Amino acid sequence: MEGILFWFCGALLFLGGLMMVVQRSAVVSAVWLVFAFVCAAGIFAVLEAPFVAILQILVYAGAIMVLFLFVIMMLQGPVLEGEGKRIPLGLWPLIALPPAAVVVLVVGYLRQPQKTGFAGPVPEGFGSVSHVAGLLLGKYLLAFELISIVLLVAIIGALAIGLGERKLPWR
Amino acid sequence: MTIVWESLAKIGFMFALIMGMVVVLIWMERKGAAYIQDRTGPNRAAILGIRLAGLVHPVADVFKLLFKEDITPDGRHRALYNLAPWLVMTIALSTYAVVPFGDFLTVAGRQVPLVVADLDVGLLFILAIASLGTYGVVMAGWAANNKFTFLGGVRATAQMISYEINMGLALMGLILVFASLRITDITAGQADLLWGWLPKWGVVVQPLGFILFLVSVFAETNRNPFDLPEGESEIVAGYHLEYSSMKFALFFMAEYAHMVIGAALIATLYFGGYQIPWLPRPALEAHAGTLLTVKLVAVALVSLLIALLFMRRVQREKGKFGDARDREPVLGMGLWLVVAVAAAGALLLKPWAIGPAGASVFASLAQVGAFLVKLVFFAWLFIWVRWTLPRFRYDQLMRLGWKVMLPLGLANLVVTALVVALV
Repeated sequence: MEGILFWFCGALLFLGGLMMVVQRSAVVSAVWLVFAFVCAAGIFAVLEAPFVAILQILVYAGAIMVLFLFVIMMLQGPVLEGEGKRIPLGLWPLIALPPAAVVVLVVGYLRQPQKTGFAGPVPEGFGSVSHVAGLLLGKYLLAFELISIVLLVAIIGALAIGLGERKLPWR
Repeated sequence: MTIVWESLAKIGFMFALIMGMVVVLIWMERKGAAYIQDRTGPNRAAILGIRLAGLVHPVADVFKLLFKEDITPDGRHRALYNLAPWLVMTIALSTYAVVPFGDFLTVAGRQVPLVVADLDVGLLFILAIASLGTYGVVMAGWAANNKFTFLGGVRATAQMISYEINMGLALMGLILVFASLRITDITAGQADLLWGWLPKWGVVVQPLGFILFLVSVFAETNRNPFDLPEGESEIVAGYHLEYSSMKFALFFMAEYAHMVIGAALIATLYFGGYQIPWLPRPALEAHAGTLLTVKLVAVALVSLLIALLFMRRVQREKGKFGDARDREPVLGMGLWLVVAVAAAGALLLKPWAIGPAGASVFASLAQVGAFLVKLVFFAWLFIWVRWTLPRFRYDQLMRLGWKVMLPLGLANLVVTALVVALV
């Protein structure tokens, strides 16, 4: 059952990623990306990590992609006729590269004599909120805090670039 | 297999509850608006002269919307235009999976928890699904290829992003107090009494958090005073302007389904959910016989009173309309008399000597009833506010969200964390 769900979500995730790349309209691309995020959350849920699955939807699909869509729509507007161009022939190999990589990985996995995919049952409480919180705020506290500082610096940097140095609030 | 059937039964109950509530809420909205504006409200639709005080109108609406022509704009994006109403409705319905509508029900010796999915991360699930709700609105606004729908979609995005943060902050205080993300834990924790007399409801331990949550829920449901995405005096009808017939009906029903979930969340998280104040489950089961008898007597007396009122109407309005509507008070009197007789007849079955199994079922049903009463009250609150307050201006909306509620929410979180850590 879990195996079926895993491959089902995986196939849909693959489809979502592919459709996101080949779409001509940026808005439709973004919607396919949201679909892919939800499928990725499904994979996390199958892999006994419900907390990560919910966060995947909450943060990526629910917050970040909404902002993306907002920006795309603001820049693009409701224009549908003749939007974008056909993808030039020279770009197709680049688009085909990730699917090809997936095919290679799957074939390689199937050819492997000892499959390590679905390891036995996970320990009790694995992937629960307290487990993830214990790792984030205990073992990996330093990395976690450093990442948040990186994000803060990125926000300030974006503000500086966006506003221009003269208009910064602390000038 | 039993668990599958149990889940299907619970999903069916929730679905029926929501759809039934949607119909009742549409009626409550129109009658409530009429009451607040000193009008009579809808009272014309009738089936064989039975008008049910306007409750026939939602039925008429359903048939009207089903048989209307589906007019679609030429410049639409086909796939997204068709996907949007479906997405809005699906997301509005799926949030209910984690809301408990009762404690448990003993069926054939098994304790069935009265919640569809008792998730470890229930509160986060609600936030996650609610955040996905934006997409339906945005897609509808963009795919219809109309400036007004587009503006509605953009407004919806900005509003939802702003108020989701406040909602999360308000809920964090609650999570700290009850030390769990599981909604059943939070509801069970609200059965306790503070200092022996005050129910430990969320609104008692988190008053500021409750107000912030309430405002955020109003913003998330796009109800007045936060209905800017469809502000009809500014952008015609906002994001669902280009939809007609059943597609429009889906948006319309989704708004009411969102109201039901908002009311259910307020009741569950801040008003004890299915808990009856000062009457915890053991007390309910111990005194089930007495309570059931009192309840039956009360039902009998009240329905008798209503039947008497109808009887007065029968005498006063004899031949008033000169058509089938004259039969309505007679029928009402008959129905309420039947209810009164049934309740009185049930007393013959000696409800005061109810067995332990019956007491358990009675306690479960009483708790489901308490949940429904709270649900209807907070649904009425949405209607009450809508017809009382004017709509915000856009800059006021943003100022309230970012400059008032966000700092208040952060302060509430810090103070709660300090108190929880110290006590």
